[in-house]
Amino acid sequence: MGAVARTIESGSALPRTGPVTSRQQSKLFPAMFKMMNVNHRLTVLEIGPAMTETVDFFSQFKCRLHFVDLFHEPFVREKQSDLSEKELRHAFEEQFRFPAGTRIDICLFWDFLCYLDDTALRAFNSALRPWLHSGTRAHGFGVHHLAIKLENIQYGVINNETLSIRERRSAQLPYHPHSQIEMHEMFNSFDFERGLLLPEGILEMLLKPRN
Amino acid sequence: MAMFDKHKSAKQDSPVSQEPKISQPAPSMGATAPVTTTKVALIGEGISISGDVKAESSLKVEGRIEGRSIQCSHDVEIAETGHVSASVMAKVVKVSGVVSGDIGGSEKVLISRSGRVQGNITAPRVQLEDGALFRGSIDMNPAEPAASEKPAAVKQTTSKPAAKAPTQGAAATSGAARKEPGLNLKSG
Repeated sequence: MGAVARTIESGSALPRTGPVTSRQQSKLFPAMFKMMNVNHRLTVLEIGPAMTETVDFFSQFKCRLHFVDLFHEPFVREKQSDLSEKELRHAFEEQFRFPAGTRIDICLFWDFLCYLDDTALRAFNSALRPWLHSGTRAHGFGVHHLAIKLENIQYGVINNETLSIRERRSAQLPYHPHSQIEMHEMFNSFDFERGLLLPEGILEMLLKPRN
Repeated sequence: MAMFDKHKSAKQDSPVSQEPKISQPAPSMGATAPVTTTKVALIGEGISISGDVKAESSLKVEGRIEGRSIQCSHDVEIAETGHVSASVMAKVVKVSGVVSGDIGGSEKVLISRSGRVQGNITAPRVQLEDGALFRGSIDMNPAEPAASEKPAAVKQTTSKPAAKAPTQGAAATSGAARKEPGLNLKSG
């Protein structure tokens, strides 16, 4: 039995999320899709576990979905504060071993950026950059004020206007919210294209690659 | 982990010495029209195969298969007790057990709630049930009809986008070097 098979077997048999508990309307998600030529093959990077509804949604498109569940990677969960930016970048690069020539059209970050400290955010930014192109768009959530707490939830896609929300079964990652100024400085592969303030101070973000 | 150890005592290192069971549903009573029967070759619980498998009937795996590929011209089901460390190519692939390897379905791939897959999936349609664990990439083309009966090709060379360790890659390279015994399942 190979190493990867052991990895699967040693993992928890429990699903990583609970059932869908609620839905959330999105205005930026449809805006992002309007920018895509869905008649061509879409390449999508999802930073999170594969959700039933997300796979169902994208099954209407000719697409390639890459699921990279960084929320459950030990180097993110337990070691990010102990590792240097170089080590973290290398760890992220290991996760982004896509086929040569891959260019990501859509990045689904969800709230992952809020769980990266400054060093890890820079490393994630560097590791992701080679896979982007000028037409890439990224969707994610941040916070309007640093005091705002996020819930321990996982998003999925029901349709291009509706996101699903599930509770995560794993403990919430250490929380590192970033201001827009910090994001601009440390997450410099991207610029804000649009932002939308949601109830409870959550900021929905649509990002585009920085020239 | 314990659930995966329970077959170890029954493991055989050589390819199956016993004939796989071919199960054939009984014709329904009172049927007037000819009944289309689907024959299913069964790799039963406690059976372990090292090598490649080719099947011309549908295939159900309750045991363990380690090799480079399972190629089936009909459907493949990996049952809850099934463990496959190989690429799987068939018309419809249903995974309720564990698969470490790429999966190609010319019609559909379904990962049920108990299924755990690490590898890349290529199929016109892919369905994940709630609770399924999947790691890798999914290549879907809903417009691509299942016109061809040939199973979707699984690209071994590009098989490790999201996955960390090169399972199939390793299996493919090492498999090319060593000649492994295979199993050819025919029925009818």
